[in-house]
Amino acid sequence: MAFEALFQPIQIGKLTIRNRVLSTAHAEVYATDGGMTTDRYVKYYEEKAKGGIGLAICGGSSVVAIDSPQHWWSSVNLSTDRIIPHFQNLADAMHKHGAKIMIQITHMGRRSRWDGGHWPTLMSPSGIREPVHRATCKTIEPEEIQRVIGNFAQAARRAKEGGLDGVELSAVHQHMIDQFWSPRVNKRTDEWGGSFENRMRFGLEVLKAVRAEVGDDFCVGMRICGDEFHPDGLSHDDMKEIAKYYADTGMLDFIGVVGSGCDTHNTLANVIPNMSYPPEPFLHLAAGIKEVVNVPVLHAQNIKDPNQATRILEGGYVDMVGMTRAHIADPHLIAKIKMGQVDQIKQCVGANYCIDRQYQGLDVLCIQNAATSREYMGLPHIIEKTSGAKRKVVIVGGGPAGMEAARVSAERGHDVTLFEKQEQLGGQITLASKAPQRDQIAGITRWYQLELTRLGIDLRLGTAADVDTINDLRADIVILANGGHPFTEQVEHWHADEGLVVSSWDILSGKVAPGKNVLVYDTICEFTGMSVADFLADKGSQVEIVTDDIKPGVAMGGTTFPTYYRSLYPKEVIMTGDMMLEKVYAEGDKKVAVLENEYTGTREERVVDQVVVENGVRPDEALYYALKEGSLNKGQMDIEAQFAIQPQPSLSALDGRTGSDGYLLFRIGDCVAQRNVHAAIYDALRLCKDF
Amino acid sequence: MLQTILPILLFAALALAILGAAKRFSMWRRGRPSQVDWIGGLLKMPRRYLVDLHHVVERDKYMSKTHVATAGGFVLAALLAILVHGFGLHSRILGFALLAATVCMFTGALFVAKRRRNPPPRLSKGPWMRLPKSLLMFSVSFFIATLPVAGILPAEFGGWVLAGILSLGIAWGVSEMFFGMTWGGPMKHAFAGALHLAWHRRSERFSRKDGRGGRSTGLKALDLDDPKAPLGVEKPTDFTWNQLLGFDACVQCGKCEAMCPAFAAGQPLNPKKLIQDMVIGLAGGSDAKFAGSPYPGKPLGEHSGGPHQPIVSLQGKALVDAETLWSCTTCRACVEECPMMIEHVDAIVDMRRHLTLEKGSTPNKGAEVLENLIATDNPGGFAPGGRLNWAADLNLPILAEQGHTDILFWVGDGAFDMRNQRTLRAFVKILKASGVDFAVLGLEERDSGDVARRLGDEATFQQLAKRNIATLDKYQFHTIVTCDPHSFHVLKNEYGALGGDYEVLHHSTYIERLMKAGVLQLGQHKGGSVTYHDPCYLGRYNGEYEAPRAVLKAIGIEVKEMARSGFRSRCCGGGGGAPITDIPGKQRIPDMRMEDIKETGAELVAVGCPQCTVMLEGVVEPRPQIKDIAELVAEVLIESEAPAKKPAARRELAEVQ
Repeated sequence: MAFEALFQPIQIGKLTIRNRVLSTAHAEVYATDGGMTTDRYVKYYEEKAKGGIGLAICGGSSVVAIDSPQHWWSSVNLSTDRIIPHFQNLADAMHKHGAKIMIQITHMGRRSRWDGGHWPTLMSPSGIREPVHRATCKTIEPEEIQRVIGNFAQAARRAKEGGLDGVELSAVHQHMIDQFWSPRVNKRTDEWGGSFENRMRFGLEVLKAVRAEVGDDFCVGMRICGDEFHPDGLSHDDMKEIAKYYADTGMLDFIGVVGSGCDTHNTLANVIPNMSYPPEPFLHLAAGIKEVVNVPVLHAQNIKDPNQATRILEGGYVDMVGMTRAHIADPHLIAKIKMGQVDQIKQCVGANYCIDRQYQGLDVLCIQNAATSREYMGLPHIIEKTSGAKRKVVIVGGGPAGMEAARVSAERGHDVTLFEKQEQLGGQITLASKAPQRDQIAGITRWYQLELTRLGIDLRLGTAADVDTINDLRADIVILANGGHPFTEQVEHWHADEGLVVSSWDILSGKVAPGKNVLVYDTICEFTGMSVADFLADKGSQVEIVTDDIKPGVAMGGTTFPTYYRSLYPKEVIMTGDMMLEKVYAEGDKKVAVLENEYTGTREERVVDQVVVENGVRPDEALYYALKEGSLNKGQMDIEAQFAIQPQPSLSALDGRTGSDGYLLFRIGDCVAQRNVHAAIYDALRLCKDF
Repeated sequence: MLQTILPILLFAALALAILGAAKRFSMWRRGRPSQVDWIGGLLKMPRRYLVDLHHVVERDKYMSKTHVATAGGFVLAALLAILVHGFGLHSRILGFALLAATVCMFTGALFVAKRRRNPPPRLSKGPWMRLPKSLLMFSVSFFIATLPVAGILPAEFGGWVLAGILSLGIAWGVSEMFFGMTWGGPMKHAFAGALHLAWHRRSERFSRKDGRGGRSTGLKALDLDDPKAPLGVEKPTDFTWNQLLGFDACVQCGKCEAMCPAFAAGQPLNPKKLIQDMVIGLAGGSDAKFAGSPYPGKPLGEHSGGPHQPIVSLQGKALVDAETLWSCTTCRACVEECPMMIEHVDAIVDMRRHLTLEKGSTPNKGAEVLENLIATDNPGGFAPGGRLNWAADLNLPILAEQGHTDILFWVGDGAFDMRNQRTLRAFVKILKASGVDFAVLGLEERDSGDVARRLGDEATFQQLAKRNIATLDKYQFHTIVTCDPHSFHVLKNEYGALGGDYEVLHHSTYIERLMKAGVLQLGQHKGGSVTYHDPCYLGRYNGEYEAPRAVLKAIGIEVKEMARSGFRSRCCGGGGGAPITDIPGKQRIPDMRMEDIKETGAELVAVGCPQCTVMLEGVVEPRPQIKDIAELVAEVLIESEAPAKKPAARRELAEVQ
């Protein structure tokens, strides 16, 4: 049996888990109503349970006390009995489908923000500031230590009374327990610091108190890091010693291992490895922990593929594999393996849209799966066939919006034609994948390519659509998802028309060869500018990337910009903020870029071989306006219905008409206005699911 | 003059026939002993002929009527001819009776002749093309010779010329019909066939007046403790004598050939040829004169054998090649069709037993599968501790923990197969919803032994069976229910000989009972049209054709029947270890079955067997979906909200702050 290792049940404490795959604790940012596991939260997890997952540990950084703020990340609040009935809803939803559910509980100590909510004074063993959150804190007092220990025990009781199957104590990500562990931040000289025993004491007292509260018939685990990756932090050998220390108490049922500390931007990027990392980059650290402990070891980090997961389990490196982002991308991953539909699994590409939103306090969403966490709104992961009429749907543009529109329409059972003027699907995803370390983003396209082939749509690659071809198809519904073009014409003095500047697309697509000495001007500060700089540097160009914003890449997420910096700094790419590109002129075969400082007005000139401009996307609207008049709905989207995930009222016009005269016209994605991949896919899904 | 010649001809032919019969009988008796009820069997023979055999023959109305006329006319004519012309009882009444008999026979013979003008390929040619002429000659000659007896013609009408011609005709007729019968002519089928009915090895397969009996499909156990008994059949004389007799009864009608899935797939098996090869083995000789379709890919004239020579040679050629035997799916389509009640599958498994037990030559994955069964109690070689992994989250009641149950759910080796786990889980859902008392054996269950037995490994089969029986003996249960027709068949029909007698039901039968008992709340099937594929081991082996259809009907499915359904269902190719021995042909059996399915236009095929599921799902897409009956029922099951177990008193949600 293929994937046999995945489907070995495992005993954790007194709990039997049906397979070896779990969703590890991550902050969802869905716990509303003061940190309760409300409808959206329950449905998000229930979808994984339906999809066959063995275990979910929910609620990354769920707080046990009110001085560990929960509202910044809408995390789960276990400091009140009010949570118990909500947990019962969550537990019922999971158990109904045979899955188990635990929750991570923690006091975050200094790893938070104080400037909101109850305006708490944050606490840590020695009052040392935390850089990622720019968080200052006080030195915790012994009375407070005892109080927090009691908070942990009460939180565990609430989890148990709520019918959950266990708790995971967070001693990872520099929360309070591992703040006590790490000599880097624990400088105490009392019984809570100094020697190994003393540094271990807080965690041990928490574990004892929790175990005493919940008894033996409830899982208690601990999540630790495998190596803090700081010269003055805890090494892998230290972590092995710590893991063994706690496991030997006999009070722990499992240990989860994350392979990195995370109290700096650079180590944080390790914790949720994006697409620049190899598969399972820190498995060796988890395996090292497994060598010294006698309880099951759980490990997540870039395990996305069932074959990879099977290989890890077969190798005996760890006992359970966390496929957390893999389940955000496709909560039906396990079911698809069981159905023999491995090719239909929407695989996580490591874009880290999910976690980068989380760090901004925004709800976790998947770049490529708009249904994830929107189950409560009625957005489906599995599109059901319509019981209504079969429609002719014509889609123009094979980027993310067009591909999703085609997939959903075809799943609904309609007759779909998709025009894409390039020779391959993907749109801007194809360009994005050309940059160094960004190739995996093409996985989004790969999945659509497979799905559209499976669904058997009429795919016309290398074919631009015009009004006549669309009319000839006598479509019921026309969806324009034809994107736009690089907006280099915005500033006349750049002289894009004379070729003094080229676009980031020109470079990434290979249309224009990299110059020797290049200035990249990036007004957007997201992926494209950084990618084009990295691409050019990788080809041997000398690159300066300039922005009128604060710093190049400033609009990228917290787990993403560090990996660009790791790539750009060694190639000596110069990053310059606060400078506008006023104009470009030619001087011989050189280009002169005139930059102006935003704050001083001071002008500087750069003499280069090439100026590359990343100024976003200008929608291509000509086809839309050519089709608009002939459409039954004049191209209008009903936003009330759209936002409420309801069918477009104009669809009823198709039922009423005689013959096939007229069509409905919708436009989605960047052909309306530049947004992002998720927005394009979300618009396509919520529009087409009701066709 | 005829009055002198005819008795001589008749009695000479009869004498030769008796001599031939004695010789033939002694040839059969070279086989191993087999207990029969000599007199009782002969007494039961007419009923077996008129009821059981007729039931099979009646499926072909043309041949049935033709045979009644020809054979009935012949038997009567022969008896009367012996009285009238042999013993000279020239009564006019007898004369008219004899005339009537010959007319009847003649009429039948005309239809036989018509059939032979453009015979379907399944029919053997050769001497069989001569038979209608012989029948006509016999009936016409005796008709004319009897006209004077009836007083229609003067006694010496026609003089010596006619007498000479008639003598020749009658000589031809009685040669074919009397001593040809026992010396290996086409009429042998009547002689051997009649005795085969009387002394059949499976007397229990014939219906009885009290309505019981009528099905006997379990393989006969080998006595592994008898040091003298051969382990299977190496040479023709290793068959029991009445099996040899059965081979001799073959009428070469080729109905088996027409239904054999392996033959149709171009694998080197033709059941009719196989039986004829056994006849060659019985008497000695080569297959050069075989007048039917050869084994696909195996020219005639290259194989020969004798009663004491090995049937299969592992090097070079003997009577039959091993791959012929390994092509069989044991689907019983041949046995089901055979009007002479020949047991092809028994013979094939007997010969496989020798190859596996004595020679260790089970081909392809055969040896590996058997080793797996010995080492792990399952054919896939999966760790035995994983037998219940599929249900890790279902909290199934384990029989060992409670000692007794009403329904013992026999899971089968589908437990190790991801596809079939879906079926198993669907059936558990149904069991739970019905509220019946059920349990599983869990890790105590072992492979039923089906595959081992069909692959000829009787020893492993008996080991597995005895261990399963010992386990079952520990507990109290009422009925065994299983989703696997192979386990179903083995538990129901083959464990008895080893001391295990149980009530066993296929899940479709049990679901039908649950429906009738009204304990299932069911909606109606939504989605496209459905056809149903009868599993061989449920249908032909156990006669269950109705329950699956009744279940489908109850959930609103109108089955679009395939041309080959019910007892004529075509095998999926998955039985008898055929996917394991994997003998190449020109096409795959499941592909052909899928073509049958596609012909109905159905979008979904309902199945009731894990093996069929796997085989049909192995057909490349696009093709109809495959779903087990349990899955289809579970899909429309309306589950009442059972109160879930709560660890603590339920708290009400607080007001939203």
